[in-house]
Amino acid sequence: MIEGRIDSLYRYPVKGLTGEMLQRVSLVAGEGFPADRLFGFVRHGSGFDPARPQPLPKDRFLMLMKDERLAGLEASFDPANWHFDVRVQGHLVHRADLSRQDGRDATEAFFATMFDIPHEEMPRFVHAAPHRFTDVSVVSSGLMNAVSLINLESLRDFEMRLGKEVLPARFRANIYFDGWPAFSELELVGREIMIGEARAIVTLRTRRCAATEVNPRTARRDIPVPRLLMQHYGHSDLGIYAEIQDDAVIEPGSRISVMGAN
Amino acid sequence: MQANLSLRLSQKRDLTADICEFTFVAADGAPLPRFEAGAHLTIETPSGAWRSYSLNNDDGETSRYVIAVKREEQGRGGSLSLHRQLHVDQLVHARAPHNGFALVSAPRYLLIAGGIGITPMLSMLRRLRRQGCDVHMVYLTRSRDMAAYADLLESPEFSGLVTLHHDHGDPKRTYDFWPLFATPDDRHIYFCGPPALMNAIYLRTIHWPRRQIHSESFSGVDAQDGQASAFRLRRASTGETFDIAADKSILDVLRDRRIAFASSCESGTCGTCKVPLVAGEPDHRDLCLSEEERQSAFIPCVSRALSDEITLDI
Ligand code: FES
Repeated sequence: MIEGRIDSLYRYPVKGLTGEMLQRVSLVAGEGFPADRLFGFVRHGSGFDPARPQPLPKDRFLMLMKDERLAGLEASFDPANWHFDVRVQGHLVHRADLSRQDGRDATEAFFATMFDIPHEEMPRFVHAAPHRFTDVSVVSSGLMNAVSLINLESLRDFEMRLGKEVLPARFRANIYFDGWPAFSELELVGREIMIGEARAIVTLRTRRCAATEVNPRTARRDIPVPRLLMQHYGHSDLGIYAEIQDDAVIEPGSRISVMGAN
Repeated sequence: MQANLSLRLSQKRDLTADICEFTFVAADGAPLPRFEAGAHLTIETPSGAWRSYSLNNDDGETSRYVIAVKREEQGRGGSLSLHRQLHVDQLVHARAPHNGFALVSAPRYLLIAGGIGITPMLSMLRRLRRQGCDVHMVYLTRSRDMAAYADLLESPEFSGLVTLHHDHGDPKRTYDFWPLFATPDDRHIYFCGPPALMNAIYLRTIHWPRRQIHSESFSGVDAQDGQASAFRLRRASTGETFDIAADKSILDVLRDRRIAFASSCESGTCGTCKVPLVAGEPDHRDLCLSEEERQSAFIPCVSRALSDEITLDI
């Protein structure tokens, strides 16, 4: 049996913006993390209809792959009351109640200003629960509700080969864990793992995109992660997605294991 | 191509312990080519190395070019040779000034200079003051001794326009920019200084529209690889052409023009965006095509052109 421990837990209520660290998470069978990627800013003309939400390719959103400056904002969203704050270097620069039209309008205007977007092309703040704006939502609805995991041992192996620090936050995972052999997680597609007391099925390896080139500390592109993964490992995968099968509460320190691994 | 000039050093004076000002005139006494505030002059230093320095005099002047050079003991020798070996009345080769940091017309300006970054800012300040524009400058140095042009900036000529601040190397006395940056408004911000200052301002103005933020010597890191230059893309199906700027990918440009395109990694690793290559000399930067595939295929999210034009079947 391979056994490791959960290091940290994050959710990203608004796609493309910074994550929030969580002390505990109640997993629900068939669901992703509560309030993860429930909101997104879609570009003008994206064709998103909240009444009939269809997965959209990620380039229709404001996102890090193209808009690395988003990494310079500290966003926090309270799913209980929809209050949304944006800070720059610790200073509050925007506060809005996203449950109200005026709050949504002001938020759209904030991002339009930041990204030099003309009034006619204002991005729209969209929300369509239970739809989630995950990158893999275009693959299947099961994946839309999958949780993303990063094995910190794999990341360390990558850092050793590069001889540079690679911040875990680049990968925007829900669950960071430690204690499995480097890259062993990539061999588990189709297999069952235990996350705390919940069974989960590994459904996909996470192929990394240019969004991981952005350094969350400097809000600039620096390390070409997908290319370096390719050069060092012959693939650009780091991390996995898993679909939760049972309800359970998890927290940092919870066990994460592969049953019957040989 | 920039014209070659022959300049004569007409004056040399120390501004601080390690910054020296050099004033050049045309060797033949004729008027010099005009420059615009923010421009730099490229000269052949006595060490033989060509170096660029921002001009700091008023861009209305055609009789002289003024630069201020900090002596870099650890540098590659260009600045040191200017300080030590260039004397008044000697001639130097130069190329006509070039501007990559031009002032755009704006209702209000905020200029921020750190250390030797004062040089382009001073030229801008002189011009904006002469034109009666609304301008404020913040000039940061470790101490007053180290502030080139401090006397000038405190003179009546510039009174009320400049804030000088010295932190004396104490992090607790670091200038607090936040009141200047908290709320984006109609100001255009120009800044130049050491990397730590450039980064601090970049992060503190992250919520400002990019068209109002101007800085020199900071093009960011090209995550794909080194040098990129502009080229033209021809679309085989329609014959349309698109200019691809040095800092844009083909994919960026097509997307801005609302041309639908399948992509995924946008880093040249997955092959999703692959298109047939029709003509032109490709600069393949992908990591997913085989040498054989590269004869006829192209990865537009990262690859560029070595020729002026490349034709793709899009
Ligand atoms: S989008 Fe992956 S190679 Fe271009």
